[in-house]
Amino acid sequence: MAGGEYSLRYIDGETPIHRIYPLIKLAWVFIVATGLFFYREPRSGAVMFVAILLTALVFARVPLSDIVGSSKLIFGLGLLLMIFHFFADPGQPVYRLGPLTVTDSGLEQGPIFFFRLSVVVLASFVLIWTTDIRDLMYSLTRMGIPYRYAFAVFLALRFLPVVQREVDTVRAAHAIRGRASRSGIVHRIKLWQRYMFTVLINGLRQAEAIAIAIESRGFGAYPDRTYVKTVRFRPGGLVLILVFTLLASVLIYIERAM
Amino acid sequence: MGPGETERAGDVLVNIQRVTYTHWNQASPTLREVSLRIKRATLNVLVGPGGSGKSTLCDLFNGVIPHLSGGSFEGDVWIDGVNTREVEVKDLAPKVGRVFQDPEIMFATLFVEDEIAFGPENLRFDVATILSVREKLLADTNLAPRRHHLVWNLSGGQIQKLGLASVLAMQPQMIVLDEPTSNLDPAATRNVHEMVLSLRREGITVLLVTRELDEFLAEADQLFVMAEGRLVTSGRPHDVLREQGDYMVDSLGVWLPETSELGIALKREGLIKGAEIPITVHETLSMLEREGLLARLGADESGLSAVHRSTPTIGDILLSGKDLRYAYPGGTEALRGVSLDIRAGDWLMILGRNGAGKSTLASMMVGLLRPQHGELVVSGRPIQRWKVQDLANHIALVFQNPEHQFLTDSVSDEIGYSLLAHGFSSGPEVERQTGEMLELLGLRGVADRHPLALSAGLKRRLGVATMLVGKPQVLLVDEPTYGQDKAMTHTLMALMQEIRATGVAVVMITHDMRLVQEYAERVVVMSEGVVLYDGPSAGLFDRADILAGSNLRRTILHELLAAMRQAGLPFLGEVRRTSDLVDRLRVKDPAE
Repeated sequence: MAGGEYSLRYIDGETPIHRIYPLIKLAWVFIVATGLFFYREPRSGAVMFVAILLTALVFARVPLSDIVGSSKLIFGLGLLLMIFHFFADPGQPVYRLGPLTVTDSGLEQGPIFFFRLSVVVLASFVLIWTTDIRDLMYSLTRMGIPYRYAFAVFLALRFLPVVQREVDTVRAAHAIRGRASRSGIVHRIKLWQRYMFTVLINGLRQAEAIAIAIESRGFGAYPDRTYVKTVRFRPGGLVLILVFTLLASVLIYIERAM
Repeated sequence: MGPGETERAGDVLVNIQRVTYTHWNQASPTLREVSLRIKRATLNVLVGPGGSGKSTLCDLFNGVIPHLSGGSFEGDVWIDGVNTREVEVKDLAPKVGRVFQDPEIMFATLFVEDEIAFGPENLRFDVATILSVREKLLADTNLAPRRHHLVWNLSGGQIQKLGLASVLAMQPQMIVLDEPTSNLDPAATRNVHEMVLSLRREGITVLLVTRELDEFLAEADQLFVMAEGRLVTSGRPHDVLREQGDYMVDSLGVWLPETSELGIALKREGLIKGAEIPITVHETLSMLEREGLLARLGADESGLSAVHRSTPTIGDILLSGKDLRYAYPGGTEALRGVSLDIRAGDWLMILGRNGAGKSTLASMMVGLLRPQHGELVVSGRPIQRWKVQDLANHIALVFQNPEHQFLTDSVSDEIGYSLLAHGFSSGPEVERQTGEMLELLGLRGVADRHPLALSAGLKRRLGVATMLVGKPQVLLVDEPTYGQDKAMTHTLMALMQEIRATGVAVVMITHDMRLVQEYAERVVVMSEGVVLYDGPSAGLFDRADILAGSNLRRTILHELLAAMRQAGLPFLGEVRRTSDLVDRLRVKDPAE
């Protein structure tokens, strides 16, 4: 109901990152993600995280409010994962909190997992914020991928704001129902279940409606289609890949050398 | 086909023969033995009560049934000579375009001009054709200045036009519009109607499902009426109204233009002798004149004898807003200085076009949004000092889609939950109050049903029930009658009046001008985040400047009254519905 400002979708702009050929940005996300599996220290993940954050803020000019708005759920999940690792990893005990023990390897592994999740998510978000999906689809078909499959990428992204809107509406609707005081954790979990259920049911309904609507517009009628607008490959964007590959290599080198 | 008329096979674009269809998850058929024909380049209007099978019928034209919907399908549908069983949905796309009620769901790209090209690109039209068709459509829909805009930055009316343009770009022979205007303000509705008429002039066949019937109905070539899955009647609108008008109004509860309703009522009362039922204001005036009724109405100098309405006393201020402002993170200024008081026992309707700020204001009143500027005091305490959950005991909001608010697995649990949330400790008291609420809202019979399995009307009632149990002083309802048929609308409005009679201030958000005319006492008109009018509803219909400034329109009944005034009948007094006019004519019958 309220206005409709959903942060996880394309932000119109003419920034250097917007202008990069879509496939280069896609490749960049893969390279950044691959690097994460080589880092052994949380510091490397942190550096990569800051680098991507700066890319988003400075070169893609994504407003900080959009970054926080779209990512808080994932970052929150990452923090939970991190805390879980503190206690769950085997290793030398460092602190004791009642029956729970924080281990030294937990303290190291926790942040590594946090950054693995956050870095991949943030990089994919940069792709979403700065790429016209139509252009991405077009560049994928130029690589020989049938357009119906290329379009699967689009459908997944198309669905994000729908889910986000649904989540916001249900949350607001539930908030004004008041809170039953018999609370307790079981009750809380039941509410959370209902919350997910409503979002899921409405989401599935929407997904079905979207699928029918797209097919009604001739999508998939032929193995190929025409494009009134094309995207030209511009090698300049390769700088992005170059810089991040270099950064990842330096990080790995420092870890191994020290 | 009427007797004596001949028909060439080539004239018929759609031929539906004895179609019976049952949804996969339902036991009884949604369509029963439906047969109909539609000729090329005609405008066809389909009406019927909620749940009569209108949308399901629309799914036949482009093959969604039988290809995508599952279920059991009997009979045949031929489109331009092709049986829909033998081709797929995507292959029917060049023949029949479908505009959905919420066109946003069919948007596949980010920018307006890309969206228009999407369909023809899929159909492999050559680039030059796509570009020239797109230019024409951008011009026709006045979307040219917004061609590089993001599709989600359009207004409700523009979204509807873009939906239409993207379907027309595929150059279909027919287009099917399922309630394209139910989400639109009256001015945008008129705009869509004008576009539909121009399509017919260009030779495109149109099927329009709608409940916003006004003078536009007179332009239709064929009117279809559905009830309980059957096509109960069809023909030229005037013929259908003459033969079946009574039945449509009394038994089906279909929304007809008020002018036609007036004609049907006068005929039933024996006050007119002719058989024709008028549709346009002009036709209605001539009918009244021909039957000698106009003079009788004009002779009525006692406008004060009009309908008397009891007004409960308006009490203390419950909510007071001063200079409220709110801008969304993207920069959209939704409220630009709104001041508004709500008092105990108020019966208020907030009107305005989509995006006028109505919903933002409602969200603010229940604490979901905080004012960025100005002062909002609820029950004597500034809004900043309220928790959303506690505020619910004082001011409750029923969402447009009540499904979003449901939390449990049965109707009675749903009400019970609200009671627990409002501090009842459970046990017999909760049970007793749940029982009372079930009774009050007529939900007793479905107490054990799952909330999501209820009909649309019952869901809304349950939505109201869950918000009423906290005994709020203000009940805010967002578009409670959206998409409802006439019978359900009147039931819901009667419910609102009952609630209000208990001393609760009822605030409704709507853009349904008939509702305003019939029920409102105080109206607040919003436009572009400011209040343009705050006063009695009767005064609003005379303020052409405000109506125009807020994209609202007079109802056809008020058009008629204005035309009567212009014809030299200084018509005074309050007329809220057609029956008020009929009452007067009955009273003034010289025979009595």
